[in-house]
Amino acid sequence: MSGGHHHDHGGGHHGHEPALHGHHHEPGFIGKYLFSVDHKVIGVQYTVTALVFLLVGFSMMLIMRWQLARPGEAVPLVGSLLSQLGITHAQTKALTNEGYNMLGAMHGTIMVFLGVVPLAVGGFGNYVMPLQIGAKDMAFPKLNMMSYWVYLSGGIVMMASFWANGGAAQSGWTSYPPLANTALSGQTWWLVGMVLLITSSLLGSVNFIVTIMHLRAKGLSMWRLPFFVWAQFVTAFLLLLAFPPLEAAGVMQLMDRVAGTSFFMPEGLIVSDKPTAWTGGGSPLLWQHLFWFLAHPEVYVLILPAMGIVGEIIANNTRKPLWGYTTLVYSIIFLGFMSFIVWAHHMYMTGMGTALSTFFQATTMIISVPSVIILTCFIISLYGARIRYNTPMLFALAFLPMFAIGGLTGLPLGLAASDIHLHDTYYVIGHFHYVVAPGTIIALFAGIYYWFPKVTGRRMSEFLGKLHFWPTLIGMNMVFGPMFFVGIVGVQRRLWTQTDYQLGQMTQYWVVFSSVGAAVLGLGQLPFIWNFFSSIFAGRKAEQNAWEATTLEWAAAPSPPPHGNFLADPVVVCGPYEYSVPGSPKDYCPQCQTSEA
Amino acid sequence: MSLLAQTQPMYWLPPDYSTHGWQIDQLINWMHVFMAVLFVGWGAFFTQCLVKYRYRRNPTALYEPIKAKASKVVEAAVVVIEVVLLVAFAIPVLAEYKNDPPKPEDNPFEVHVVAQQFAWNIHYPGPDGKFGKRNPKLVSDANSNPLGLDRDGDPDAKDDIVGNNEMHLPVGRPIIVKLTSKDVIHSFSVPMLRVKQDTVPGMEIPVWFTVKEGTSSDAIRETMIRTVAVPAAGANPRDFVLWCTNNIAVEDIKGSDGTVIVGKGREPSAEHLEALQKAGIGEIRVAPRHPVEIHCTQLCGITHYKMRGFVILMPPDEFETWYAEQAAGGDEFIEE
Repeated sequence: MSGGHHHDHGGGHHGHEPALHGHHHEPGFIGKYLFSVDHKVIGVQYTVTALVFLLVGFSMMLIMRWQLARPGEAVPLVGSLLSQLGITHAQTKALTNEGYNMLGAMHGTIMVFLGVVPLAVGGFGNYVMPLQIGAKDMAFPKLNMMSYWVYLSGGIVMMASFWANGGAAQSGWTSYPPLANTALSGQTWWLVGMVLLITSSLLGSVNFIVTIMHLRAKGLSMWRLPFFVWAQFVTAFLLLLAFPPLEAAGVMQLMDRVAGTSFFMPEGLIVSDKPTAWTGGGSPLLWQHLFWFLAHPEVYVLILPAMGIVGEIIANNTRKPLWGYTTLVYSIIFLGFMSFIVWAHHMYMTGMGTALSTFFQATTMIISVPSVIILTCFIISLYGARIRYNTPMLFALAFLPMFAIGGLTGLPLGLAASDIHLHDTYYVIGHFHYVVAPGTIIALFAGIYYWFPKVTGRRMSEFLGKLHFWPTLIGMNMVFGPMFFVGIVGVQRRLWTQTDYQLGQMTQYWVVFSSVGAAVLGLGQLPFIWNFFSSIFAGRKAEQNAWEATTLEWAAAPSPPPHGNFLADPVVVCGPYEYSVPGSPKDYCPQCQTSEA
Repeated sequence: MSLLAQTQPMYWLPPDYSTHGWQIDQLINWMHVFMAVLFVGWGAFFTQCLVKYRYRRNPTALYEPIKAKASKVVEAAVVVIEVVLLVAFAIPVLAEYKNDPPKPEDNPFEVHVVAQQFAWNIHYPGPDGKFGKRNPKLVSDANSNPLGLDRDGDPDAKDDIVGNNEMHLPVGRPIIVKLTSKDVIHSFSVPMLRVKQDTVPGMEIPVWFTVKEGTSSDAIRETMIRTVAVPAAGANPRDFVLWCTNNIAVEDIKGSDGTVIVGKGREPSAEHLEALQKAGIGEIRVAPRHPVEIHCTQLCGITHYKMRGFVILMPPDEFETWYAEQAAGGDEFIEE
């Protein structure tokens, strides 16, 4: 990557498709807002769809948290409705244990594959990245459109599986065979949905890579890229390289289920009290290897765009350059590489030998180092700053300690000896939720508040933003913090109720506390939903450079940007975060020469 | 239940009755000390910056990057500490746990566990010390042959003892548990013995451990006695039922006329509530029936949450007596 100064492609000089297409005739309503090839419209489609899925996935969790706090009691409000789908009991209206497993599997799937990744990559990546590099659109606009529609189809298939015979998939978001192989038909729907979602991600990732490589504005060398673009670049490689093994595995499991193959089924399996004739020769652990080969890099697919967003917002609101930009970039590249060789730390309890587990323990400790460096860089960036406490900055700042908790609690899980006690307990749930919810999702909220004025030309309310921030931060900590203590005591995950167990009884008070936190978190989202929709129409008008920022999307593109993004081709003259340059009249120097509109 | 109504809460690692568990606990505790120091250190600097460098207080931001030697020191310290934790603690502890099976001269006791949806089948070799062959074709829960033993044709299987969800073990003697599964992947976990291992169909995976000498399930139960409040008539019995589930009365609970409402060793339930309320009993004392529980920690299907077993720890002589009794009972199927 060093010496990246030599290739500077001008965005509009290659006569690529959007330039030909976009400027000559305006598409009609359907072409403009529905089947659009404009990266901004696709970005908004991704964002809105993913936000809806996040709300759906969160609502499922509220139902599960009700059951955990009040085992076997009727689910309020939606109890009767859900009994139609077998999720709640026909008479008692309480969540059934099948229903609990369905919601558990679907909550995980929805939050990761239909919520966070599409929002972080499909939403923010699609909308912001081309603007930040001064491109008129993505390299392959039609591929981009296809990526969205395949994603949406995958989402529809997933949701439709609730109406399948026996309901939605119940084998966890990890779908381990033989359980998943012998499960009811919801699992088949899940696999089809996954194949679609993976395909969508692959289409997106090649597009991102080519766009960042080839469509950068004149003067925008790799080492002048905003950190967010670097994060999307590394993320795209992770998606491209990690997803194919899971796509293969998904098809193999599908074949096991529908075509009589036995990739994952060992010999002598007893199903319904009888030995099966149709299994043999397969390995249940093969699935786990293929699954985690994706699913560990997937963690970084979630977290890297979040770090990118946080980097942008911290630089902008500290009014100073990011501390250690080069170190940050090398760190995320290193994270990307390492994320491919830590996957089996999810499998210490499968009977792995000590030689193999020593390797994976070592790589797991190594991968924690760049995370520590990234966090340290962000925190040192605050030193000597002039911090503006607006809503995006509050969320971005909250990301730092929350991600620290998520990252640090990965350490005892990453060592096989301490993992003996902690594996598959609530400690794990606490750990990865701190990475994904108070970590990634908090950063995604920061990004929504930050780029909303660019997308709509209007600002979101600061008051409602803060009314959203505090209950969100407090609620998330109430929900996930106690899980560490429940897990350390030794209570296992994925239980319909833990009150049958002695250790579960002794920690039930924390479970109730968590559920109260979930309610706080839920109520805390109401100001956001209101703020989001009302600001589209009635928010205070935003100027082009609403945050007095340096990067191209603010410095060179109107709010909202027109089709083709820029009124004149931007020419980049400096690095991304030239804030508070001594001797400069303003406290920011935009990356490009073109004057503000 | 109200938040404050928690009886006998537990805050950190559960008690450990194995001889190896202290090493795991020590590693977990030291890691949390390390994590806490790092977090507090970061947090202090972070908070200081947030206060000191707020917009109004600091008129100009610093353009030139500061020379932060401290960050290099912190990063180097993190690397050193992680290496120490890995090399000095984690790897040796795991090696001892995984690579040192009990030697024959230590007289280990071997038992097999065959997991199935949603039960733990415990297979003891019986007096001959030999395990009968398990034949999948003979498996039949309906005929009380969950393991597929050939009681007539296989001489080794004749005296085998098969238990369901209750695993009786002698303390102070090395135990080898060989684990497998009939159907899906389960995970055999005994938190209070710091043992966890997935059970994978098609694979037989051993774990071994020794329970501390001088302990027993009866002794552990004595340490886990809790007081449960009897709710007033008409009040929600939820908490009462919760705290009594799988617990037994530690003494006869008698009404004012001397009649026994809940006998010692019996589980109090909602059915007893009315009598308890009439007798004016405000609280009762209970303890876990079997305090050392086996959890299935891998999602294994619809009633995964009910897949619970128990380890019943016995002094060696008591265990020998129990074992002989079971063997004398022939192929009797031990029900929970």
